[in-house]
Amino acid sequence: MCKNNLKSFFSFLFKISFTLYNSAIRAAVLIQRWYRQYVARTEMRRRYTWHIFQSIEYSGEQAQIKLYNFLGYLMDNFTPSSTERNLISHIFRENDVCWDSEWERYFCYKNIEVPEVYSGPHLTFPLTVEQAVGLLEAFRNKKQLHSRYVLELLLETWKVLRMMPNINRISTCQSKEVTICGDLHGQLEDLLLIFYKNGMPSLDKPYLFNGDFVDRGKDSIEILLILFSFMLVYPCDVFLNRGNHEDHIINLRYGFTKEVLTKYKIHGKRILKLLQKIFSWLPLATIIDQKVLVLHGGISENTDLSILAKVNRHNYVSALRPPKRRNHSPAGMSIDIDLDNELWNTSRILQRRASFTYPEPLGPKDCFHNRSLQDFSNRIKANTHNELENSRKKEDILAAALSRSQQDVLSLSTDSVSSDNVKEDWRQILDLLWSDPMNQDGCIPNEVRGGGCYWGPDVTEDFLNRHNMQLIIRSHECKQEGYEFCHNRKVLTLFSASNYYDVGSNRGAYVKLGPDLVPYVVQYQASSMTRELTARQSVGRTERSALKVLREQLFAHKSDLLCAFKKFDTENKGLVSLNDWASAVESVMHLNLPWRMLCSQLVTCRSTDSMISYYDWFNELAIKGPNTDHIDQSLLETLYRHRSTLETIFRIVDTDNSGFISMEDFRQTWKLLSVYLKMEITDEDICNLAVTIDSNHDGTIDIDEFMEAFRLTDKKSRLERGRSMFMGTASDLKLEEDPNV
Amino acid sequence: MAPKKKEEPKPAAAPPKPPEPERPKTPEFDPASVTLEFTPEQLEDFKDAFQLFDRTPTSEMKITYAQCGDLIRALGQNPTNAEIMYVLGKPKAEDMQTKMLDFEQFLPIYQHICKAKDRGTFEDFVEGLRVFDKEGNGTVMGAELRHVLATLGEKMREDEVEQLMQNQEDANGCINYEAFVKYIMAS
Repeated sequence: MCKNNLKSFFSFLFKISFTLYNSAIRAAVLIQRWYRQYVARTEMRRRYTWHIFQSIEYSGEQAQIKLYNFLGYLMDNFTPSSTERNLISHIFRENDVCWDSEWERYFCYKNIEVPEVYSGPHLTFPLTVEQAVGLLEAFRNKKQLHSRYVLELLLETWKVLRMMPNINRISTCQSKEVTICGDLHGQLEDLLLIFYKNGMPSLDKPYLFNGDFVDRGKDSIEILLILFSFMLVYPCDVFLNRGNHEDHIINLRYGFTKEVLTKYKIHGKRILKLLQKIFSWLPLATIIDQKVLVLHGGISENTDLSILAKVNRHNYVSALRPPKRRNHSPAGMSIDIDLDNELWNTSRILQRRASFTYPEPLGPKDCFHNRSLQDFSNRIKANTHNELENSRKKEDILAAALSRSQQDVLSLSTDSVSSDNVKEDWRQILDLLWSDPMNQDGCIPNEVRGGGCYWGPDVTEDFLNRHNMQLIIRSHECKQEGYEFCHNRKVLTLFSASNYYDVGSNRGAYVKLGPDLVPYVVQYQASSMTRELTARQSVGRTERSALKVLREQLFAHKSDLLCAFKKFDTENKGLVSLNDWASAVESVMHLNLPWRMLCSQLVTCRSTDSMISYYDWFNELAIKGPNTDHIDQSLLETLYRHRSTLETIFRIVDTDNSGFISMEDFRQTWKLLSVYLKMEITDEDICNLAVTIDSNHDGTIDIDEFMEAFRLTDKKSRLERGRSMFMGTASDLKLEEDPNV
Repeated sequence: MAPKKKEEPKPAAAPPKPPEPERPKTPEFDPASVTLEFTPEQLEDFKDAFQLFDRTPTSEMKITYAQCGDLIRALGQNPTNAEIMYVLGKPKAEDMQTKMLDFEQFLPIYQHICKAKDRGTFEDFVEGLRVFDKEGNGTVMGAELRHVLATLGEKMREDEVEQLMQNQEDANGCINYEAFVKYIMAS
């Protein structure tokens, strides 16, 4: 009896614990399943958010290139008396001064006085490491370097850079690993974090910075000054490669120009001019231990290091525009000459470059995009069918025209350099600074960016074999983890600006390379806030940002979208199905995004049978400016869509950088814009606009006020660090304008 | 002293044991046997998601076996890893990164998962967690839950557990599990 009781008792216990155990397992499995689903969904949101930001970023770069091409076209094809030409000519005038004495006088800092009350660092040259570290500390404490010292520092930098070759060669050894950093984009926090984690540059700690030091972030000039000062202190241990943003044309749109002019009201323009020269003198690439190539963008199937080693890199002030032969100045010398008799032979000075000006315009105005030697696809014409085909056709026409005009060009070269060489050189540099890797074999033009190419693993393989190397390290693309290997681990992308798209969007990374040439990656993320956010909150934040940006873009294309919807809405009910909505939106926006997925986030007004009422949707999206009823809606929309271009043109027009332009210039700007956008703007429209802006009727317009008046910039939506992708540095950046600087 | 268990009397001349009945083999997953019941709208949605996971250089609309689970989950199902392995035909570990699926092959797999019952309701969840609620007060010890998730069932890695539990525990290390479940199901 007892025995049986015991047996059944134990059996009972066993069953209970077994059941409990089973429950526990079931519970665990349930939670695990849900968790894994949560992770997958978060990953998906992260992916399309990323996709949104990238598409818009690259199309912005493309837009800038187009604008510049357009301005170039005007420069080349308008008669000298044209008012438009006067307006924009000064950005194409490479140097205002011709002779080295004038040059020195122009950049002379000696008579800039530093007032007693200035509390920033004082620099003496030659620079010591204590001063460099002091500068770093000062910037950390939000001080600003006085313009006198800025100019002095830049001049010293220029002298050093001029002596460097196009391709630096460095070597590692056991105790001397080199630290390589990618894009910084004006994010001082990240540079400070890198120095904190890794130590400052020194004889034992060489550094290599791989371009894109400026634009987008708000401390671009500070980063430059720090990098330059360390380079002056350790010229054999701090190396800089040029990036595609070390280019004054790009700087106009992406904020560096604005930052400098805002921080240095009096001497900003001079500083920018000097920086133009410095950028062009930055080395193009670096080779480590003869085996690892470090450059900013990438390569193409044509990249040839021996050619690159010999180009006159300083002639390529902007990689977007091949060097031009200028009209002769009254003094009889070409304006576009690097005058420094101390270092260069006279014969070099007299070298002319063949121009790419054509004696006649290439064709009707809307073909001006064909002008560029690098094929820029024409996205203003929204026809994207067979774009590659179209661009190839254009290139043929271009090639034919080029050969025809070569006979016509008045080349006065004493040291005649054929235009082909220059074309080739320019292309090599463009590829170096703008290219991106792709997964498939081959090499195709990079139409998303508008410059450089996409190159495949076969090109990498071939290149490395030809040059007897083993690894390419490049930057140029933001990566979520701060780095990414591709092409069989033979190409490493390195990006050092963390939280680039938004707080929590990505980490930054740097690489340490020792004699074994095995890259050791260190990641970081520069924001205390980030660490506190959960992964989901991070993604949520970034997602909201991306969607906001996307909504703005959609609103800016309202007219085109309306047309597209109407095509689907045959019965004119104001409704379209989800499918049609998605097709219509993609056909207008060309961003290649998963619209169906995004629909629920972008459209809140759905009718019961899941059709979308597009008029209601537009109302949802609408961004209203104050008191803009008397202004034509489509004009407003155009304003909004091209606001970045508009601001760029404003800044160009504002020749004395006062932040104000006259009414007359304002009208000229509009005329320019209307030609560029091929739209009609009547004088009446312009007057209406002016009335709205010039509230005090004093005949001048405050650029920033204008942009804000039309909600073209949105103060409230700025990220904490005041950075915007689309307008350059935020216009709401409350910079204490130190009158003493 | 615990009473000694008495030995069971040996059964006399046990008859030869009948052969162990063969465990019924779960039939291999046969995609051809699945009828697709998706609407065209749904198919468009799936295509969008599929494309987002497609990492092929020329956008061939193919994903690796390893991504299949993620995609299924991203679309809203929550299968176990075992279920995923099943519908993929129990591939070897090295095949996960190399073998590919195209959209047409994906659909029957996804359909099968969609039809599976026992997806776990809110109540199931709470029931499951109640097992760990020693004091019956609506909370479980975070540490215990972490231990369970990392050791039982389809084990999670430490960093996965960390990510899940981040900011969920109160000052005493306890988690209110109803709130926790709501949190997980809300993503």
